[in-house]
Amino acid sequence: MNKNMLGASIAGVAVAMLGLAFASKPLYDTFCKVTGFGGTTQDATERPDDILDRQITVRLDANVADVPFEFRPVDRMTTLNVGATELIQFELTNTSDVPVRAMASYNVTPHKAGPYFTKLECFCYDEQVYQPGETITLPVIFFINPLIDEEPQLDDVRTITLSYTFYRADDGNESLASLGDLVSEH
Amino acid sequence: MPMDAITPADELHHEDDHKIGFIQRWFFSTNHKDIGTLYLIAAIIFGLVGTFLSGLIRMELAAPEIGPLTHFVLWGVEGATQAEKIEAAKHFYNTVITYHGLIMIFFMVMPALIGGFGNWFVPIMIGAPDMAFPRMNNISFWLLPAAFLLAVVSMLVPGGPSGNGFGGGWVLYPPLSSTTGHPGPSMDLLILSLHIAGISSILGAINFIVTILNMRAPGMTIHKMPLFVWAMLITAFLLVLSLPVLAGALTMLLTDRNFGTTFFDPAGGGDPIMFQHLFWFFGHPEVYIMILPAFGIVSHIVSTFSKKPVFGYLGMAYAMASIGFIGFVVWAHHMYTVGMNVDLKAYFVAATMIIAVPTGIKIFSWIATMWGGSIEFKVPMLWAIGFIFLFTVGGVTGVVLANAGVDHALHDTYYVVAHFHYVLSLGAVFALFAGWFYWYEKMFGIKYNGFLAGIQFWLMFIGANVVFFPQHFLGLQGMPRRYIDYADGFVLWNQVSSFGYLFILASLFFFFAVVIESVVRRRKADANPWGEYATTLEWTLPSPPPFHQFNELPKVK
Amino acid sequence: MRWIAVALLSLLSLPAMADGVPVDGALGFQPAASPLMEEITSFHNILLWIIIPVTIFVLALLIIVVVKYNAKANKVPSKFSHNTMIEIVWTLVPVIILLFIAFFSFRLLYLGDVFPDVDEAEVVNVKAQGNQWNWTYTYTDVIVDDYPVEFVSNPIHRGLPGEPEGTADAPRNLAVDLPMVVPVDTVVRVQTAASDVIHSFAVPAFGIKTDAVPGRLNELWFLANETGTFYGQCSELCGKDHAFMPIEIRVVTQAQYEAWLERVTGNSVEDARQYLAEITNESPVQLASVQ
Repeated sequence: MNKNMLGASIAGVAVAMLGLAFASKPLYDTFCKVTGFGGTTQDATERPDDILDRQITVRLDANVADVPFEFRPVDRMTTLNVGATELIQFELTNTSDVPVRAMASYNVTPHKAGPYFTKLECFCYDEQVYQPGETITLPVIFFINPLIDEEPQLDDVRTITLSYTFYRADDGNESLASLGDLVSEH
Repeated sequence: MPMDAITPADELHHEDDHKIGFIQRWFFSTNHKDIGTLYLIAAIIFGLVGTFLSGLIRMELAAPEIGPLTHFVLWGVEGATQAEKIEAAKHFYNTVITYHGLIMIFFMVMPALIGGFGNWFVPIMIGAPDMAFPRMNNISFWLLPAAFLLAVVSMLVPGGPSGNGFGGGWVLYPPLSSTTGHPGPSMDLLILSLHIAGISSILGAINFIVTILNMRAPGMTIHKMPLFVWAMLITAFLLVLSLPVLAGALTMLLTDRNFGTTFFDPAGGGDPIMFQHLFWFFGHPEVYIMILPAFGIVSHIVSTFSKKPVFGYLGMAYAMASIGFIGFVVWAHHMYTVGMNVDLKAYFVAATMIIAVPTGIKIFSWIATMWGGSIEFKVPMLWAIGFIFLFTVGGVTGVVLANAGVDHALHDTYYVVAHFHYVLSLGAVFALFAGWFYWYEKMFGIKYNGFLAGIQFWLMFIGANVVFFPQHFLGLQGMPRRYIDYADGFVLWNQVSSFGYLFILASLFFFFAVVIESVVRRRKADANPWGEYATTLEWTLPSPPPFHQFNELPKVK
Repeated sequence: MRWIAVALLSLLSLPAMADGVPVDGALGFQPAASPLMEEITSFHNILLWIIIPVTIFVLALLIIVVVKYNAKANKVPSKFSHNTMIEIVWTLVPVIILLFIAFFSFRLLYLGDVFPDVDEAEVVNVKAQGNQWNWTYTYTDVIVDDYPVEFVSNPIHRGLPGEPEGTADAPRNLAVDLPMVVPVDTVVRVQTAASDVIHSFAVPAFGIKTDAVPGRLNELWFLANETGTFYGQCSELCGKDHAFMPIEIRVVTQAQYEAWLERVTGNSVEDARQYLAEITNESPVQLASVQ
């Protein structure tokens, strides 16, 4: 291979690695979804067939990051059989006097329970606008996959904590506007 | 005839001489040796800045309570109180450790080992007249001062609410590096600086790969290449594969900061941990990028001064290749505490410990090279032997840290600081000085004073050990990294560590004394001062080599 | 010479120093105050028995080479550059050593991953949220008026002159106004979270360190097997006051814990603090270590 061809192909490798870095975003998300890395939970549309005798306590953890919300679980914990479906509820109040667009991040601890904690329905999938002064109930329907019983490493899991954190959902325009502010300030 | 490589005068005696002006030669240079010299000069200047920053660190940590750094902040601010100065010093300290790390890695070790020695000796060692793309080589170099300038400017413009400059550590973890932690323009400039330094390195790496694969002299098969060339080839591949990943991560960070994307922002479904994965996918190979050229240099020096061929040449070459390869699959051992599945931890523990095997092969092969030899303890050999021992110390603490169970106690403590300074500050830097004194007479055509250079070695050897060995104790006792002030239980070893810094300063003084003495006295160097066991091609050329070498390609048997 | 004495004492880890506070001049880990840290310490001791001999072995080889094969002692160098046998040996022996290490390493790793088999009702749950620059502790099972008990734990020294009164004896850069209080010999589940940037919750004497990451909850557990005051420090760079957001954990008896809880739930933080000061003064051992 002449040197220009060789140089170009190595440059191509570098560009491919750059592309791979950007592709890592969906790859990483998929990886988390599949392996439950970082306590990423699973989603399902159907209930499991069998309900086991093993019981697990699910504790609920509610946080707000940068939004003027009061956010807490209606019940702090619930105990359910593995495989059984459970409805839990959170209560959220927008304490400010403007509508706030927000979205929640979530995970479970211990992280190794992530692949087995399966949601049928959740308020956390999409951004939503919460009206001022409004108090609403946010439901989550979930079950714990009976496969958890077949994994010896999860024998010690008797308690799982489900955690939500609410963040303000910026749309791109807002931060472009704030960039404009920053530029004009200087 | 006065011999001084740093002026164009010495070209007069080359038969193919064409007179070129100073500007033409040093600013528009396309000659690999001149570019190599430029890289070395730049690395020395940038290294001095990095050393000054480390001096600030050791000065601040020499005694408990925030003190010395308060004198370096809030200059020109009328009526700043001591309390305000202390607040400013806290942020300033964070910027100092950040830029110390970045400058030493991107602007000192890499330019010196890869840009400096690599440019100088890769073409000569393989019998090539120059690098494959001489003009691109020029671009590679001149991007570097530009990147450095940006880094310096980023230190001086507003970083965050607490002051100027970016103070989030060289790892640049968001959200501390996103607008949450550092809303100011400093971080943006730093990202730009690293982008440019990265482009510089990638262009350099492409140049090295093409040069090594395409321009070897007749008979120079891959399995006859000198080990330094092997090291540079592997290093260049590591650069091409890892730096774009850093570039990607930094670009995502930049758009997160400025254009409302949420790659690393949990508010929009991103994950700050993903940045850590990307960063360390680059960052771990980066460690080997800094140490593999050092391995190559040490191999040549050990062989030359033992008057024996390198023991286990092929094993040495493939040990480097396997270190480079494994380096890509161990990154998350920097992240044992982020909350990781235990099986994943177990994998990274196992993969990381495997690296000890090829590293051990290298250490033992160097010793076997010396075994049965007739060793002359010239200055480069002192550095090389120092390297072997100190790298061993840094290596075994690496084995300790590889174990996730223990790492939960040692992660982000001074034990880690001690470990990576043993492999870098005493490893890569020792090899850097070894190479400098091995090739100094070849590059510049003048002899240096071995006695002064020997003093420099011993001061550095003592100093570096006094600085970094006690930091193991601090780490075991639990002192976290990146602390401007520490609890009273950490006083003694910090004092010892700061005391050791004085030896390093003294050794730097002797380093410059050696250079100045040699330039002033201008003793003409021989083509080969080291004897018949300096077998690589650079020793067949005069010192300094002609402006253009190998107009007729050498034949390698 | 005082520091030599201190170093020796710390190596012996006398009971008076059993509290989790760094000791000047010490050479090793802080004394273990949890079963996990005991395991870490003994595994690290195994590692020391490997890495120190390996280092000495390499040093010895280098010394032999320097003494025996210097140009004066050995004028004619030998020519060999291969020895397949020795190359196999120095590849295989490290592999065997590493396998040996890995055996203990994985044992420790998986041990730390298994939550102890205790009744959930006996577990103390505390959430530690890292903020720039303090920790918020939430006792998630202790509910007052529908909300769990929560308080902010602020450092009482920030390296500034003019320290608050009555805290002169507390260790500088380690003590806080309101420590996390947990009962002895009880499993404590700590969940870490962060409100702004990444922090890391670490207590050396318990052998624990887990990052507090915004947007995700992390979990760790520990079991303190002696009473006392145990200090830790934020272990992930988090900005200007990174060095000044310490972690203080008071391990007390079950009775004292309940008495403290009573005062905290009575919503009198000051009262709870007073109580902690009282029980500190009752215990001369702890006082000695603080001074």
